[in-house]
Amino acid sequence: MSDAGSGSQRLVLPSEYETLERVDEILLGCEHFKTLDGKTQNEVALAMIEAVTNAVVHGNRLDKDKKVTVNCEWDPDEIRISVHDEGEGFDESCVWDPTDEEHCMKCSGRGVFIMRATMDEVEFEMSEETGTTVRMRKITKGAGDGTGGEV
Amino acid sequence: MKVKTQMEGDVAIVHVSGKLMGGPESENLRNEIKQLLDKGTTKFVVNLKGVPWINSTGLGALMAVYTSVQRGEGALKLAHVSDRIQSLFMITKLLTIFDTYATEKEAIESF
Repeated sequence: MSDAGSGSQRLVLPSEYETLERVDEILLGCEHFKTLDGKTQNEVALAMIEAVTNAVVHGNRLDKDKKVTVNCEWDPDEIRISVHDEGEGFDESCVWDPTDEEHCMKCSGRGVFIMRATMDEVEFEMSEETGTTVRMRKITKGAGDGTGGEV
Repeated sequence: MKVKTQMEGDVAIVHVSGKLMGGPESENLRNEIKQLLDKGTTKFVVNLKGVPWINSTGLGALMAVYTSVQRGEGALKLAHVSDRIQSLFMITKLLTIFDTYATEKEAIESF
């Protein structure tokens, strides 16, 4: 659904590794994304990959009976993405900074850090009854030179 | 994701292709490096020319093989890192850990 530079897209995805490989397809469905410069495209794509990875692998724990719902909304000034899973969430206070010397050689724990580093706003809503939603916002005003990137 | 290795002298060139997103396929990379280490190889170039996308789990797989090679007293270099992967390395400050090269030849010559 889109109109005069704004629009939205909603996808319900299975909790399997193959879903992670479809993130580019999801993003290319957002017309606004295609008009962004390469750097901004990279940042949005990295955040989206991490959000969907968290939802599929950590949230739904690859349970094929559980779904991941992705919503993208965009207008000429910003892109908003939410990713919902049916998992219990996590303790945000336990997310370490992977750039600290103490943690930099660890093999995991970078996903939330990458989302926060690449988007302007990232917030989590967690509920044992309804699951976990991450909402991310990227201001894209001035980032749309129409050249696109390497998606 | 596919992994294929060729030897250039004493350097193992490990070509990875496909999206490095974690999952069972990431084990292919770990197993390949482990087998080469077991055979006594200590110099590795992981060629990422065929890897357009990577996530933090894939990054973890690269960290794991890097650590294995270090433990085996070897060295691992990366070649043909895409802009998106380079961005990820910058954000996570892993550019200070990984030696990255524009081409396979440059990576080989760095040993």
